[in-house]
Amino acid sequence: MNAARPQPARTDTAPGDVGIEIRDVSHQYGGRGGQGGVTALDHITLHIRANEFHALLGPSGCGKSTLLYLIGGFVPVQSGVIETRRGVVTGPSPDRGIVFQNFALFPWKTVLQNVLYGLEKLGLPKKDREDRARHFIDLVHLSGFENAYPSQLSGGMQQRAAIARTLAVDPEILLMDEPFGALDAQTRRVMQEELRAIFERTRKTVVFVTHDVQEAVFLADRISIMSARPGRIQHILDVDMDRSRGDEITKRPEFVDLGEHIWGLVRDQAIAATRGAH
Amino acid sequence: MGATLNTLWRYTPLLICLAIWEILATAGPVSNQLLPDVASVGKALWSLILDGELLRQAGHSLYRAATGFLLAVVIGTTAGLLMATFRGVRLVVNPIVQMFYPMPKSALIPVMMIWFGLGDMSKIVLIFIGCLLPVVISAYNGARGVNPFLIWSARSLGASRTSTLVQVTLPAAMPEILNGIRTALAFAFILMVSSEFVIAKDGFGYLISQLGDGGAYEAMFAVILVVAAAGFTADRLYGAFVRHQLRWREP
Amino acid sequence: MTRPASPAFTPARARGRAAPGPQAPSMLGAVWRRLTSDTVIQLAVIAVLLIAWETVTRLGLVHPFLLPRLSAVLERIYNNALNGKVFMDLGLTLYRAAAGFFIGVAVAIPLGVMMARNAGVRWFFDPLVSIGFPMPKISFLPIFILWFGIFDTSKIVMIAFSCFFPVVSATYAGTLGVDKWVIWSARSFGARESQVLREVVLPMALPQILTGIQIAVPVGLITTVVTEMLMGGPGIGGSMMAAGRFADSVGVFAGIVEIAVLGAIVVKGVERMRAYLLRWHAEARH
Repeated sequence: MNAARPQPARTDTAPGDVGIEIRDVSHQYGGRGGQGGVTALDHITLHIRANEFHALLGPSGCGKSTLLYLIGGFVPVQSGVIETRRGVVTGPSPDRGIVFQNFALFPWKTVLQNVLYGLEKLGLPKKDREDRARHFIDLVHLSGFENAYPSQLSGGMQQRAAIARTLAVDPEILLMDEPFGALDAQTRRVMQEELRAIFERTRKTVVFVTHDVQEAVFLADRISIMSARPGRIQHILDVDMDRSRGDEITKRPEFVDLGEHIWGLVRDQAIAATRGAH
Repeated sequence: MGATLNTLWRYTPLLICLAIWEILATAGPVSNQLLPDVASVGKALWSLILDGELLRQAGHSLYRAATGFLLAVVIGTTAGLLMATFRGVRLVVNPIVQMFYPMPKSALIPVMMIWFGLGDMSKIVLIFIGCLLPVVISAYNGARGVNPFLIWSARSLGASRTSTLVQVTLPAAMPEILNGIRTALAFAFILMVSSEFVIAKDGFGYLISQLGDGGAYEAMFAVILVVAAAGFTADRLYGAFVRHQLRWREP
Repeated sequence: MTRPASPAFTPARARGRAAPGPQAPSMLGAVWRRLTSDTVIQLAVIAVLLIAWETVTRLGLVHPFLLPRLSAVLERIYNNALNGKVFMDLGLTLYRAAAGFFIGVAVAIPLGVMMARNAGVRWFFDPLVSIGFPMPKISFLPIFILWFGIFDTSKIVMIAFSCFFPVVSATYAGTLGVDKWVIWSARSFGARESQVLREVVLPMALPQILTGIQIAVPVGLITTVVTEMLMGGPGIGGSMMAAGRFADSVGVFAGIVEIAVLGAIVVKGVERMRAYLLRWHAEARH
């Protein structure tokens, strides 16, 4: 419990634009008028830079998904403000795309129809829609499965389709809610590499929720470590690594050290969470 | 106190419906002939209870429904399990099931009359046939859906085919079987009332027809509501029984 | 249907089949396997039953009033087809069943959706539906006859009333069970509430709604036949009752065969429709 509040000193020196600005956001579940409920988020202030890959890391139940849903506009903000370059968040919008852990594909639509859905809502001409959908299906290596239904695909392939569907509408911000949590270890590894590669090419602002330290270190430029109930930002860490050699970095001593260091920080939180300590 | 209020609040819509009924019957444009008011229906119900008429007819109806239904549960479950276990049984029973399944069972009422007359037997057989198929099908599907590893484990521990069937397959298929039995229970009531409407000299359906033909609409409404309540109660009791039986499924 | 009854015995059986032995001519083996295939045996069972029916009645083992000859029943159906009686009876029955069914469903689906999405609607209708669902609706028939007379109106209202409850319960449960992630996905692409309902909630609830419909259809057919039997007149139920009254058991059995065929067509048709509408669902490939 060395840092009760986020450290604005560190984020204020951030270069580049602000991608998402979260100011003094609190959130409670249950209860009425802020009484008797469970405090999921407690005065969160966080600046997520434009075009950075930002991981929200914490034990289950720390409110990191809730924070993501608030940014997405799916859950109304109770107190505080969340702002992007498009203004204050008041509801969902295509400039903030989301990928869920359970894929949330439309099961009655084929892969192609799923990807087309968002493009139809954008009102693109028919020809463009089709081309663009196929381009993004290709990007996630699903070519040849355009006409398959989600139930015919493996979990990894379904998540590829969901990522293509979200990327296709070209959101400024990409929100990812433990997207690889439902996949087996090998598939998860492959997906992480590909996601980072896609990120290098598209350079969106990514907010990636996870409880996996390795995953956060491998993927993210910066990591916010959250505490368990009530959810607070405990630490913010930069991950400065040369990623040009892809998979190799996991073997480098600085990667291993950073992972150990973060695990040390998260471990206390995880233990506290399982013991129900507040 | 809070729980009572909650229940009251939950069933307020029913009271509202009763109030609308009462207003329509007494003050509305609908004549009293078409819609007797709540109080007189209650009074008719009370006198039917007092002279024992309602109880007597209920006894006839429920005896038929229960007999046909229970026979169907026992024979249907056995047949379904045997179908799932033995290819020979499946090949003989399945075509018969497939042939009779889509047929509206009420079409058998005249045949039952020809074969068994106006007495209990015609209704019992009809209810038996109507309840049988949902039970057979659910027992068959339930037994086929049992995880084969369960059966392999039992067999490898030296259990015989018969004891595996009774001790492993039957309990594992139970949730699905109990579901099919619930459908059968609904059919039992539908066919009981239907057959008594069409051919009978006693029972709920007969009583309702008699009261209607005699213009005793208050009493007719009362008996109809009693039958509806009986069907509802049977379903709720069965639901409680199933929850008790399947408590091992709770986490 | 070819799933082995007891998986423990599969390897032995498979081995026995795979090795017919050098002396067994493979042609004969193939013919024998074809003859003992599930489909052929099941068709044979039906054939044996029909032949037994004809034989037993021809030998006079059963009184012809209790069980008329199969050939007599088929001849009656043939004649009914020639003079158009079958089509008139079945057509009227189907018309009443379909009219009642569609009215019931047309009310049930919107109401079920509204119950799931609006607390006030849910508060009012939930107790009514949960009480109405397990009731034997057919017992209300005399009330509908009292209100609407003995012609088609009361029959159709009765059928609609019977079909309504399974569908409204299924729609309510199905709509309530749509998980929020899929709805949120649609919203994140800019879908409006009405679009979310039409493009996401209804398709997601469709499997359950179809299950409700598959309960409502047989119940609707049973109800149709009963209303026709009670009120008489043209229609398969009325015709069967008339035949029964004149001790014309050939007519009664012909009616049963006719309504069984209609029931089979309707029930199988609904199954086909389900398979088509849910071709995206995992159940389509089990």
